[in-house]
Amino acid sequence: MGIKTEQTEQKIHLGLLTKVKFKKEDLLGWLVMLPTLILFTFFVWEPLLESVRLSMYTAKGIRLQEFVGFSNYIRVLRHPDFMAAFRNTFVYILWSLVIGFFVPIIMAVLISETVHLKGFFRVGVYFPNMVPGMATVLMWGYFFTPGATGVLNIILSKFGVGNQLWLTNPKLTIPLIILTMTWKGAGATALIYMAGISGINPDIYEAATIDGAGIWKRIRHITLPSIFSLGKTLLILQIIAVFQILYEPLVMTNGGPNNASISLMQLVYNYAFRDFNYPMGAALSVMICMILVVLSGIYTKITSSKEA
Amino acid sequence: MIFDKFSTKQDGVIRGYDIHSFRVKVICGVILVLCLLIAAACLFPAFWVFLAGLKDIKEFRRNTTLFPAKFDFGVFVKTWNDLKFTRYYINSFILVAGSVICAVIFNGILAYGLGILKPKGYRIINGLVMWSLLIPATTSVVSLFVNINRIGLNKSFIPLWLVYGSNAFYVILFKEFFEKMPKELVEAAKLDGCNVLQVFTKIIFPLSKPIIMVVAIFSMTAAWSDFLLPYLVLNGSGKETVMIAMFSFRTSNATDVEVLRAITFSIIPPTILFLLFQKQITDGAAIGAIKE
Repeated sequence: MGIKTEQTEQKIHLGLLTKVKFKKEDLLGWLVMLPTLILFTFFVWEPLLESVRLSMYTAKGIRLQEFVGFSNYIRVLRHPDFMAAFRNTFVYILWSLVIGFFVPIIMAVLISETVHLKGFFRVGVYFPNMVPGMATVLMWGYFFTPGATGVLNIILSKFGVGNQLWLTNPKLTIPLIILTMTWKGAGATALIYMAGISGINPDIYEAATIDGAGIWKRIRHITLPSIFSLGKTLLILQIIAVFQILYEPLVMTNGGPNNASISLMQLVYNYAFRDFNYPMGAALSVMICMILVVLSGIYTKITSSKEA
Repeated sequence: MIFDKFSTKQDGVIRGYDIHSFRVKVICGVILVLCLLIAAACLFPAFWVFLAGLKDIKEFRRNTTLFPAKFDFGVFVKTWNDLKFTRYYINSFILVAGSVICAVIFNGILAYGLGILKPKGYRIINGLVMWSLLIPATTSVVSLFVNINRIGLNKSFIPLWLVYGSNAFYVILFKEFFEKMPKELVEAAKLDGCNVLQVFTKIIFPLSKPIIMVVAIFSMTAAWSDFLLPYLVLNGSGKETVMIAMFSFRTSNATDVEVLRAITFSIIPPTILFLLFQKQITDGAAIGAIKE
């Protein structure tokens, strides 16, 4: 009896020990993550909630004054600038599909077909991605200078084309901004597609050749379908990026001419950091954020269905 | 012949056996020319900015030529001194150094927790981090700026450094790397009596050099190019970085050629970084996006 109880006691003791040890490991794990979790809370998660709170108050500078419910939202939605920015967002998305989406795919397919200078092409197309965003927009500003001294006008005049107005032509403003963004981003995206293309099993091409498929048919029926799911993912990411367009209209056109290029993020910037009306900036941020949550949901659904 | 190399072709639609046909040879030639044009389009703007910076202001305003009439590199030195670029460079380097350190350490330890230690309930954090990856930080910049002001860290580098310590993308890069490590290593170290900290410093950290390099290079470029938050926090504090200075030249009395030279100054450090680490950077670009 005595021995038995001792054994059970020991067992209980051991059980407690392992339980305590288990808890201690968990605690240590959380302690390791704690510093970064504090940073994430302060810089990422809390600001999202703070945006919602801020958007429902009036404020003097950074000090909140009184709760006003959704009236900041209504003021933002009723402002004519909002309609302009909202409409522009769709134009931005349209042009980023026409220019921004296909250019990297074409680049990737072409560069994959070369055997000479391939390393140079990879490095060369990625270079614009290293150029800081601020430098990119200032640089392209000189290319789009209207009048005889603008770089594109100088180049076009050699082909006998007259001077263009470029960014000051409201019809061209958004396509040219997308062109600038594509110049910067397309090479990096092309490298992703190239990684996808080089993952295609060469046997498939060989089998297709035996079945009599020419080069174009092989691109159409083998290469493009195999980068299709990659393309879907990158497309959603690109649309998410469109909602963040800020530097280009801010520096190149200041949203003009006549609001033709103002973006939603630029409107946030104008409210918060030009007019110092933080609540209205926050209200618009919350709305953009909600759109992005929906888009992210679609993205997660697409990527997880790919795994299944 | 230039077509001999095609027999060793690894990637793409056109295979080695296609090259015997004349039509395919023509297509390959056209593709090569197109690729050269693409590369030219990617490299020309930066090249032009550098050369146009050699023009003087009268030449820039009047002449409709692309390239300068004479090559006097002294003008770059003069503009560097006139615009006091040394100060902006130092400020940018301070910003970059702190950001890289924070990016590697803080995101690394969170990934160590999520990828290896996995304490009870870690999945919640995992989910939160994945969602933060998709919600861009720019959408909460207004409230973040208000928060920074409330705790009195305005006009300081500290919040700008720490913000790099909470980057979901870097956490996921680290985590995926850690998860690929053989689990036996960590188990063996634990049996040998290593505690949580020792496992990290003796096993995980020394094996993580490749991913540390990738995160360091990414955060270096990102911090150098960062504009919005540094501008909001540092503008008017005397700690302006190169990007903030460039934004202000737009409305200052700096001439066009001076702005062009400033653009060149802002491109030089990332270009050097790129030339040194082109392989890591171009490989990193692909692993960054193809998750799963």
